[in-house]
Amino acid sequence: MISRRSLVVARISRQLLLTDPASTIMMVVMPLILAPFLAPAAKAQLQLAGYPAASGGDQIIPGLAVLFAFLSTQLVGTLFFREHAWGTWNRLRASPASTADIVLGKVAPLYVAQLLELGVLLSAGWLLFGYRPNGSVLALALVVATFAAMLVAFGVMLVALFSSMDMALVLGGLGGMVMAGLGGALAPVSSLPSWAQVAAHFSPAYWALNAMRSITLDQAGLVDVAGSIGVLLLFGVGFSAVVAWRFRPAAVKIGTT
Amino acid sequence: MPQATIPLRLYVVVVLYDVVSAYIVDSDPVLRVSGVTMAYGENQVLRGIDLEVAAGQILGLVGANGAGKTTLISIVTGLLPCDRGSVAVAGIDALAHPKRAARYLGLAPQELGIYPTLTARENLYDFARLAGLDSRAARTRTLEVAELLGLTDQLGLRGDQLSGGQKRRLHTAMAILHRPQLLLLDEPTVGADVTSRAGILKIVRAMATEGTAVLYTTHYLTELEQLDAEIAVLDGGVIAVHGSCREVVQRWGRASVVLRFTGPAPELEGWTANGSRLTPTHPVTDPGAAAAAALVALGPQVTRLVGLDVARPSLESAYLAITGHVFSEEAGSDLAA
Repeated sequence: MISRRSLVVARISRQLLLTDPASTIMMVVMPLILAPFLAPAAKAQLQLAGYPAASGGDQIIPGLAVLFAFLSTQLVGTLFFREHAWGTWNRLRASPASTADIVLGKVAPLYVAQLLELGVLLSAGWLLFGYRPNGSVLALALVVATFAAMLVAFGVMLVALFSSMDMALVLGGLGGMVMAGLGGALAPVSSLPSWAQVAAHFSPAYWALNAMRSITLDQAGLVDVAGSIGVLLLFGVGFSAVVAWRFRPAAVKIGTT
Repeated sequence: MPQATIPLRLYVVVVLYDVVSAYIVDSDPVLRVSGVTMAYGENQVLRGIDLEVAAGQILGLVGANGAGKTTLISIVTGLLPCDRGSVAVAGIDALAHPKRAARYLGLAPQELGIYPTLTARENLYDFARLAGLDSRAARTRTLEVAELLGLTDQLGLRGDQLSGGQKRRLHTAMAILHRPQLLLLDEPTVGADVTSRAGILKIVRAMATEGTAVLYTTHYLTELEQLDAEIAVLDGGVIAVHGSCREVVQRWGRASVVLRFTGPAPELEGWTANGSRLTPTHPVTDPGAAAAAALVALGPQVTRLVGLDVARPSLESAYLAITGHVFSEEAGSDLAA
C-alpha cells in the first residue's frame, strides 16, 4: 500500500514533472510528427502481410508509442538524479519517509505520466491516423498498463545501475531504441533478419507490440494476449529484482540540474 | 475493602511511574552519541565519539575540513552507518530505528537542498507534510516559518529565483517546520549574507530558548561566540576539547599585542623584537593592560610607534591553539569530554 509519506513524495514528483513538462510534451508530439511520414510504408507492409483493410496507423501508432515510451524512461532517471544534484535526496532520506516510501512516491507520478503519454498517443492515432484496435479494449488497456509499469521498473533499474545521469540516460536511450527496434516498433518483426526475429523475443517491446498488433489486426481478446502480458510482467519483475539488488540509497550519484 | 484498595494502589503506581518516567525523559539528553567509530576504508574518521546535547542547549561542533563533522551528523540522521557505537535521539535508538528517530530531528545539510523549480511555499509545505504535519498545520507553519526567516515576500518565488542568502534561509527553514526536538545544522551560514546570517542565528537562539537541542557546525567561530554555545572540538577523530565557550576561550584563547615601529623595534623587557615589531615574550591575559604598560615603558621611543594591534582571546585563537596541539603540551586536557 502507498503510505501517506509516499503520497507526499508523489506530490513533490508531480509538481516537478509539471514545472518542467518539455520532455513529456516532446515524447507525445514527436511521434505524431513522424507518423504521417511512416504510415504509407507501414500500410503497404500490412497489406502485403494479408491485412488489406489495415491502415498505416495500425502498425505505426503502437510502434511509435512503444519506441517513445522507451525513450521516456529518461524522465525516471532525470527525476532521481536531479534530486542528487539539487541536494534534496539526502533531505528526503533524513526525513521520516522510508526508502520504499521515497522510491514508490517518485515512480507513481512517472507511471501515471507514462500511461497518459501512451493514452494520448493511441487516442491521437485513432483520431488522426486510422488506428483501430478492433479487439478487446480492456485487453489493450491491460497491455498498456503492464508495459508502462515495466518501463518504470526499467527506468529505476538504470538509476540503480549507473552513478551518473549522463551514463544512465545515454545507455537507457540506446537500450530502449534497440529493444523497441527489435520488438517491431519501426517495422514488423517478420520483416527483420532471422537472427533479429529470434532476438526479438528477449525484448519486452516485442511482447507489447505483439499483443497490441493482435488486438488491432486480429480482434484478439484478453485471453489471447494474457501470455504477452505475463511476459511483460516477468520483465517488470526482473527489472525490479535488479533494483532491489543494486539500489543503494546512500550511493553517490552525479546528476545535472 | 480490597476492591477499592487495589485500584487506589494501581493509581498510585501509575502516577509514580508517570512522574519518574517524565523525570527520566526530561533529564535525558535529546542527543546521546556514545563510542561512535567510523572509517572510510583505511581512513579512520571518527574514533569513539561521545557527545550529548540537552534540550535547550546549542553545541557547536568545530573541526577542520574532513575532521568528520558531517560524517557524525550523517550517522545521527541515518544517512550513513557507523562501524561501532550508539546514537539515541529523544531516547530512540537512532541506529536501529532511524525513521522513528527522524520524526524528532530536523536537518539542514551542508549542501543546499531545495527544489529550484518549486516555489518557496511549495518547498516549505511539502517538507512540513513529509515531517508529518497535516495539511492545515503545514500551511500555518509554512507561513510562520517564512515570517521568522524573512521569506514571506518570497513565498511565491521559485527556488531558483531566490538570492543566495534567501536560498540558505529557505534551506534552514525546511529543517524547523515540525519544531524538532533536535536540530542539526551543518554549516548553515555558508554563502549567506550578513542579514541572512543574523536571521539564521536569531532562529537558532529562539529555538534553543524554546527547548530545542541544537547541534551546529561551522567554520565561522564568532557565530558560536554569539550563540554562547557549548563547544566540542573534533580533531584527529576524537573530541579533543569539550566545554562552554567561555571555558574554552579562557583556557585556550590567546590574546595578542603587536607594537609596530618605524625602523627596528626597540628593546623592551618582557617583549621580543622581530624586525620592526614587538610582541610579548610570554602569553598575556589582558592585552590592553600589557599594551598600556609597554607604552609607558617605551619612554621617548614611543614617538617611533606607528601602530598598535590588540586582539583579545577568542574562540578562533583557542581553536588554533587546540588543533595546533598546544593543549597537549602545555595544559593537559581536563576540559576534554
